[in-house]
Amino acid sequence: MTDNALVIVAHPRPDGFAHALAGRAAGGLRAAGFDVAVLDLYGVGFRAAMSAEEREAYHGDEPILDPLVAEHAALLRSARVLAFVYPTWWGGLPAILKGWLERVMVPGVAFRFDERGKVRPALTHVDTIVGVSTYGSSRAYVRAINDNGRRTLTRALRMSCGARTGTRWLGLYGMDTATATQRADFAATVERAMLRLR
Amino acid sequence: MTRALVVFCHPTGDSLAGAVLDRVRGALDDAGAQQRLHDLYADGFRPELTAAEHAAHLTPGADPSVRRHVDDLEWCDTLVLVYPTWWSGQPAMLKGWIDRVWVNGVAWELPPGTRRVRPKLTNVRRIVAVTTHGSSKLVNAAQGEGGKRTISRSMRTMCHRRARTHWIALYGVDTCSPRRRRSFLARVERRIRALAD
Repeated sequence: MTDNALVIVAHPRPDGFAHALAGRAAGGLRAAGFDVAVLDLYGVGFRAAMSAEEREAYHGDEPILDPLVAEHAALLRSARVLAFVYPTWWGGLPAILKGWLERVMVPGVAFRFDERGKVRPALTHVDTIVGVSTYGSSRAYVRAINDNGRRTLTRALRMSCGARTGTRWLGLYGMDTATATQRADFAATVERAMLRLR
Repeated sequence: MTRALVVFCHPTGDSLAGAVLDRVRGALDDAGAQQRLHDLYADGFRPELTAAEHAAHLTPGADPSVRRHVDDLEWCDTLVLVYPTWWSGQPAMLKGWIDRVWVNGVAWELPPGTRRVRPKLTNVRRIVAVTTHGSSKLVNAAQGEGGKRTISRSMRTMCHRRARTHWIALYGVDTCSPRRRRSFLARVERRIRALAD
């Protein structure tokens, strides 16, 4: 069985730095022997908001109504690595990525409810959750104020994974004032880190 | 007189969410507050920040399509957010409202020659979150209460210097009894009325 890795990228502009980073992350993962799928959420026109119909189906037997969501959920089911690449906005995930969690990570995919209504993890096949994010603010500011995106992925989502699932976080801070060299160094760091995930 | 902007985010406005909104609005009325409402789902708000908006993010001003949201945000002194907590934070719909409305020239500014962002929503003196969590308080604490921090830290920083945040939350909705729901609704009403008085 091949080892699958999923790279999920959220940036509205195709020339955004996040897309370059996603490319490097995917390259690193391929070099490490993974079969990589890249999900460009803006590129595929992913709808961020959970619809009323989806909300009503959420606790039923078939919570997925959208074929695009079904496709992403199928890719997720065998993934050993989940790599999220996005710019941090308001200390959190861009809405489109937050919506991806809400619509794809549904009962039966990311978790299930047991007979007492408690949440049990279903992403036990995931070895590593990777976050690659760019921040307008400095590292000190992000630390002092809020990094909800990181918390959502490395804590909330992590709880849907196995006991041994690891997390890896790579941030480029002060993005608005970063030099070309700093960006290039960061991109190289991302690729190297993915290569080591073997 | 309190000027409250209520932002409601729920796809179906089901029984609990709808009841919460009713209590919030009723309590604001009782306290004699002026209020404006944005129901993001009912209004068909589009939460995805576009490429054009991103390209313009260093230019002050929001996209013309969210003009009414900006006007009401600049009008209010009290912002009330009513939403379910999903994946430890605001639903994508509400996060998109923040991404697209709280932009340069609205929520903050970067005066020329400086590198420090300056808050611009100094008219906002309190932010109230009324939210429901599927999971328990313990689980939410372990997850870091990111959504709470988004409000009490990220958003509050761009408001009045002494702006306060109020957290009115019901945990464990997935397993909670009708009695706890009723007492939560009563708490919502009590606290909103006390705030707006």
